[in-house]
Amino acid sequence: MMRKPLTNKVLVLGVDGMDPRISRKYLAEGKMPNLQKLINRGAAREDLRLLGAIPTITPPCWTTLATGAYPGTHGITCYWRQSPESLDAVVYNMDSRNCTAEQVWNITAEAGIKTLVWHWPGSSWPPTSQSPNLNVVDGTQPGSVNMGIAQLDWEKIIVATPDIKEVRYAPRVEKPAGVGCIITDLEDTLDIKDEVDDEMMELWWGDKARQGGEIRTYVMDDEDTEVVIGSKVAYDIVNSPLREATGWANAPEGAKEFTILTSGGVMRRPALILKNEAGEYDRVAIYKNKKETEPMLVLKKGEMVTGIIDDVIKNEVTKKGCRSMKILELDPAGNIVRLWISNALDISNDQLWHPKELYKEIVENVGHVPPVSLIGGEDDELVREIFEPSWALYNKWQADCMNYLIKTKGYRAVFSHLHNIDCAGHQLWHLAKTLPEWSHTDEKTYQGFIEKFYLQTDDYIGEFLHLLDEGWTILLVSDHGLIVGENVPPILGEYGGLNTKVMEELGYTVLKKDENGNTLREVDWEKTRAVQIRSNYIYINLKGRDKYGIVDPKDKYELEEQIINDLYNYRDHRTGRRVVGICLRNKDAMLLGTHGPECGDIFFTIEEGHNRLHGDSLSTSEGYFDTSVSPIFVAAGPGIKEGFVTDRIIRQVDVAPTVSALLGIRYPAQCEGAPVYQILTEDI
Amino acid sequence: MSLQQLDTNLFEEIIYDNAEPCLVIFSRKNCHVCKEVLPMLEELKPRYEGKFGFYYVDVEESKNLFERFSLKGVPQILFFNHGMYKGKVAGKVDEDQVEEKIAEVLGA
Repeated sequence: MMRKPLTNKVLVLGVDGMDPRISRKYLAEGKMPNLQKLINRGAAREDLRLLGAIPTITPPCWTTLATGAYPGTHGITCYWRQSPESLDAVVYNMDSRNCTAEQVWNITAEAGIKTLVWHWPGSSWPPTSQSPNLNVVDGTQPGSVNMGIAQLDWEKIIVATPDIKEVRYAPRVEKPAGVGCIITDLEDTLDIKDEVDDEMMELWWGDKARQGGEIRTYVMDDEDTEVVIGSKVAYDIVNSPLREATGWANAPEGAKEFTILTSGGVMRRPALILKNEAGEYDRVAIYKNKKETEPMLVLKKGEMVTGIIDDVIKNEVTKKGCRSMKILELDPAGNIVRLWISNALDISNDQLWHPKELYKEIVENVGHVPPVSLIGGEDDELVREIFEPSWALYNKWQADCMNYLIKTKGYRAVFSHLHNIDCAGHQLWHLAKTLPEWSHTDEKTYQGFIEKFYLQTDDYIGEFLHLLDEGWTILLVSDHGLIVGENVPPILGEYGGLNTKVMEELGYTVLKKDENGNTLREVDWEKTRAVQIRSNYIYINLKGRDKYGIVDPKDKYELEEQIINDLYNYRDHRTGRRVVGICLRNKDAMLLGTHGPECGDIFFTIEEGHNRLHGDSLSTSEGYFDTSVSPIFVAAGPGIKEGFVTDRIIRQVDVAPTVSALLGIRYPAQCEGAPVYQILTEDI
Repeated sequence: MSLQQLDTNLFEEIIYDNAEPCLVIFSRKNCHVCKEVLPMLEELKPRYEGKFGFYYVDVEESKNLFERFSLKGVPQILFFNHGMYKGKVAGKVDEDQVEEKIAEVLGA
């Protein structure tokens, strides 16, 4: 069924983790002029909020935005879904084939509207419509385009000084913030393992994950939680002597040489620091080898350069990879140089581009995908100099890609996602309140970083405002916000695995012990009556349903009641307060849209004040430093009232049907929301 | 031992700066397999004089190099040409395997 369209072109501008509450703080301070322009040109609630779906986890919420259905209906209920084999394991879930609701982009494409779905981390890949009008780029992980499948190497810090006597390489060093990168100083903390666990991206989001391999992660204490892991930065460290250049075919006068190692230590590039006319060292030149007369590239102080193509060896195979680099420190007198080198993205990998020609066209006309940094966390220098600028650079590349494609390919519907805020949030938002656990950091510094990420997002929004004058309607949306935590969260509701601690204390989950009485990371299924896994779910270990089930189905109802009582009565050992918000049986969780077999036998949330960044709480939760878990909604352009404020509660399920209403196409088949008709220029 | 031993600095100079085609065996003095493989390399070396270099790293003396290449156990023979890593063979390898790899490195 077609209706009269209110606009011919819709851009859904998705920004993962964008929080309306803190956005309003920066708007009030005049720091987000582009968002302000979008609001002025269009319509939103006064508080800019969208009522988020639950769980407030990335793939479920983006899938809700795409389908207009609640997670219990579309079936994407967390990053992962339960393994069919075991209650303590999960399998990959960012796969559109697991989605049981229709995506609105299939309807646009099949209605003859050329449609682009750009890195939408919820049920976009693989494409589920055969329509040639549907083009899809990645969407298999939340990070950045190609991040899950094209990583060839790891980030590195190179340190060269005259005091270092020989080249050394230390892979994946996790070091405390504030400690330098001299390997001899770190000797005692280095743990050179036989097998370096360097495939986490692939384990979570790579080929193996997509083939359905089991992922078994136990969250047993604070050390296993994401904020602790994410804020301890890990990267390769290379130490090199810095000395007079010798044996070079063409080294400039006064240059000093040092050595760069990449590819797990097997690839070596010689480099020179160069003097300017004033006799001060201010550049680094990197060569393929000393016999080359021209460098591969020259880096200037203060500049992050991307698009650097070089050979990278991984698993004995050599490929061309794209890197970014930046000088972290270069002493004008030439006594120290520190250099950051990004991971490397395989430039030949086009497997997540549909059609594949799009990749080639983007590379030729916009440039290679810039690798984003994933290091920073508690090291504020790296956040300031590397992490944040690498995202700013990526944002610009993505905006250029989308603008290029919009301009040249005739798209009329674009669904896009950017991950900058969420990525930063997971690494460092928790440091914006100085809790005793991270008293070595300064909350003001990290509050400043939050602001920087919102300001770079404002720049990103600004890249698309010209479309409002070219007949486009823009919907700015997010999946959830991220809070700065008031307290350290309990070991309950961490989305990345099986949460054992609280459930052990309450006597429902039992872990095996070794002969010395040490707890093992293995569930004792003979004694375990229930487990808590992923963001919000508790499963009873049920006879006849679960492989090692011990609970008789006739006892299930009573056991559920007991668990719910115990969770409400549980008190946090740090604060003495209740930490569980609401608990519902699966059948009752339909009230929140978290029903069905992928939502556990009991659904629960973590209470405001004890909740983590996002994912475990209600979507209306608020946190320290004017943060909230709420997602944002602003609409502007043809079909949308200008300068209009609505009181309408706008739900995440309302976005897809609003797109349908704007473009005059039918509503998604399983849609449970309704168009936000109050903000539309015409009655529908 | 007719193979030249390399430490970290010599490794930089010979393998990378000179950039000649060569192999480097990473071994340990009290490793039984190494004691079988090393003589085989010593025998092969004269046949490649001037064409292909043969070098030796003692991993106990040059732990840095062992760590740097993320090697798991010895012996391991690493191949290089033009200052670029060209792969490795590990464990108890025979003459044919090494010659085959040398031919591959020289042919590439």
